[in-house]
Amino acid sequence: MKLRSALLPTLILGLLATPFAAQAEGDWKKGRVYFRMVCTACHTEKAGGAIAPTTKTMAEWKAYIAADKHAKGKDSLKYYVSKKYRESIKATNKAAAKFIDDDEAALLEDITAFMIKGAKDGDSPAKCN
Amino acid sequence: MSEKIYVFKVFERIWHWSQAGLIIFLLITGFEVHGSYTLFGFQQAVDLHTIAAWSLVGLWVFAIFWHFTTGEWKQYLPTFQKVDAMIKYYAFGIFTNAPHPFKATTLKKHNPLQRLAYLGVMLFIGPLIWFTGWFYIFYDKWTEWGWDQYLSLEWVAFFHTVAAFLMLAFLIVHVYLTTAGHTPTSHIKAMITGWEEVE
Amino acid sequence: MAVQLTSGYARLLFAAVMTLTMAILSAQAQAGASTADHTTFKELQQPFESGPAVTQACLKCHTEAAHQVMKTPHWTWEFLNPATQQKLGKQHVLNNFCISVESNYAFCTTCHAGYGWKDHSFDFTKQENVDCLVCHDTTGKYRKQPGTGGLPPLKAIEWPPGSGKIVRPVDLQKVAQNVGKTSRDTCGACHFFGGGGDGVKHGDMDSSLAAPEANIDIHMDATGLDFICSSCHQASGHRVPGSRYAPTARDDKGKLMRGKESGRNPATCQSCHGTDPHKSTRLNSHADKIACQTCHIPKYARGGVPTKMGWDWSTAGQKGPDGKPLIKKDAKGHVIYDAKKGDFIVAENVVPEYKWFNGTVSYTLLGAKIDNSKVVPINAFEGGPDDGKSLIWPVKVMRGKQPYDPVNKTLVKPHTAGDDSTAYWKNFGWEKAIAAGMAETGLPFSGKVDFVETEMAWPITHMVAAKDESLGCVDCHGANSRLAGLPGIYMPGHSASRLLDTAGWGLAALCLVGVIGHGGIRILAARKGSEK
Repeated sequence: MKLRSALLPTLILGLLATPFAAQAEGDWKKGRVYFRMVCTACHTEKAGGAIAPTTKTMAEWKAYIAADKHAKGKDSLKYYVSKKYRESIKATNKAAAKFIDDDEAALLEDITAFMIKGAKDGDSPAKCN
Repeated sequence: MSEKIYVFKVFERIWHWSQAGLIIFLLITGFEVHGSYTLFGFQQAVDLHTIAAWSLVGLWVFAIFWHFTTGEWKQYLPTFQKVDAMIKYYAFGIFTNAPHPFKATTLKKHNPLQRLAYLGVMLFIGPLIWFTGWFYIFYDKWTEWGWDQYLSLEWVAFFHTVAAFLMLAFLIVHVYLTTAGHTPTSHIKAMITGWEEVE
Repeated sequence: MAVQLTSGYARLLFAAVMTLTMAILSAQAQAGASTADHTTFKELQQPFESGPAVTQACLKCHTEAAHQVMKTPHWTWEFLNPATQQKLGKQHVLNNFCISVESNYAFCTTCHAGYGWKDHSFDFTKQENVDCLVCHDTTGKYRKQPGTGGLPPLKAIEWPPGSGKIVRPVDLQKVAQNVGKTSRDTCGACHFFGGGGDGVKHGDMDSSLAAPEANIDIHMDATGLDFICSSCHQASGHRVPGSRYAPTARDDKGKLMRGKESGRNPATCQSCHGTDPHKSTRLNSHADKIACQTCHIPKYARGGVPTKMGWDWSTAGQKGPDGKPLIKKDAKGHVIYDAKKGDFIVAENVVPEYKWFNGTVSYTLLGAKIDNSKVVPINAFEGGPDDGKSLIWPVKVMRGKQPYDPVNKTLVKPHTAGDDSTAYWKNFGWEKAIAAGMAETGLPFSGKVDFVETEMAWPITHMVAAKDESLGCVDCHGANSRLAGLPGIYMPGHSASRLLDTAGWGLAALCLVGVIGHGGIRILAARKGSEK
């Protein structure tokens, strides 16, 4: 009885969750391009220090992105994914130009997917060359 | 006492100086393509050399036309008359202020040595440089035209360069001999104004 | 809202339907090309207990896929060169990197498109042994564990042992539900890491090509054309064209209609760009002698990943002061000595060497007599200026020093990898390791070991630069020509005859001296005349 009552919601949830999860996880390849060509293009030794997915753990990345604080809280992280920001750099940044019409939230998901995948304890830790 | 005669017509003077300019320019760019020095940069040297070469071809078409229609081509018929006298003059007489053995006239504007030298330039250096130059320019088409079986770029370039060196040698001697007229500048003045001072 | 949703259940149902629809729409919009959402397939909605179990699920729909794969070198690791009749492929050749697959299967086959090839007994006829996921994964989370014959790790393990690094298990169900077309990442999982590490082997392929910028590869530029490997190496029935075992060195046939069955290699430059891609006919005519790659790949290993240029096995086995196998790194942290392998030379931004090449590569295979007084060519690019089939190609030449049998005068295949009593990387004894390796091959080994210098050439064809970064005229036509010394080409600006130059400038100098002398005497004579 107990098993049965648990099974039905699980099944429904499972059916719903599978495709939904695929969407929520974001396109890590797109996230990789944006991260490498927008984020790291600015983040050099000078501007805030070099960054790579492996500098944080998965949990730390999730927390960092959720906190939405950039440059130690001086401005919003989301701003750097926003259309406004992409618009402002598109003349000199091909990645910003390529993803100019992307939805902000979706793009952030894509970047998040890449960061989680490449995190220190992620599936394929990614240092940047 | 000296008198003046009209030796070089307007066309001849234009032809001469533009040809001189083009040949000097071709030598400068050509030896860069050859690898002797860097001046314009290889690619630009090639382009300029090609443009100058076609310009010279155009000039020659006019010149040949002019020479045949005016009959001036006869000026280049070789003669061995007085060649010995000319050689003697350049070797000895010129130093002792001896009289120039050749007196230019409108009908005979070149001395016998000049005739031979220019004929050599036109019959030997010229064809050598033109034919090898055209082979060179049309290298792109060799395969298409089936020439690649008969020609090698190495030998085409070799003979083109041989001709260029001969042209350079001619140029040096020619420029010097312009000072060997009645007065050191009389030949040069003639080629500028058309009028030559003769004795 | 037109419909009043009264019960909580209906509301839930509506929400579920909407979520699903949106998810499917968005997934479709993302994938673009695919007409199938594998997450919806019942066959894939199960926790798979092994790689082969996934393959069996795939084969339920893709009935011919395994048969197709089994005919290709990705599966057979075997290639019969039609020009030389040599039996090549990873199973047979040796190289001057890790030397050979034989007797080291369990490690080398980490890059086999199959499951469980640990030794000679591997069953090449078993369809479920084909690994679909290694090429068709889109999650980037699939991996194969070294030492297992190419199996994915299904529980967390520490790798390399003692390193403290934990390899996370692969969620086979998730990977199986997210299969798609191949990508730079899937092909690159093996081809970027040939030779045992990032960029080691090829020089023109490394992980920088996973998402490159235009200056690394103009075609793969992630924000530009964004080509994947199969954009050029367009497969048909799992046959991937463009193998370096028998490359197309010269393609005079012009543009190839994509998708048209032609039997031609679609991965040549000409198959897209045709035979006269430049505006200048002069540049086009260069293609008579020069491969496109020669000018358009000015350097390789440009993406920040160094490639191995030299490998000296003869110095392997040194121990550090702590008694442990020694490892040395250069200033950038790249390994330049490893006790297991010897000395390395690594380099970035390497100017290629150039060779006439007609597409035929002959190998020095195991058993062939070698001349140990010379550098042994592990492979030789054939061709020359006059065969009408060759072009000048950029190549990476890998220079090594590797063990051989000085009595039989043959190269040898050592047993390097493994957790046993003969593997070189565990025991550091050449005689034992080579005896074990050669026993596996069935060929004789005298028991004596010496080292011989070897060379191996690799064609450079990836990392095509943007056009304004390709070579300029002077790179070849200048004094320091990249093509210096190659037979059969006259390069104006570089190849001038010394003799002619001496004679020509000599003549000019003589004339100059002559006229100056002549003029000088004239001036002197004139002065004397005026004095009188």
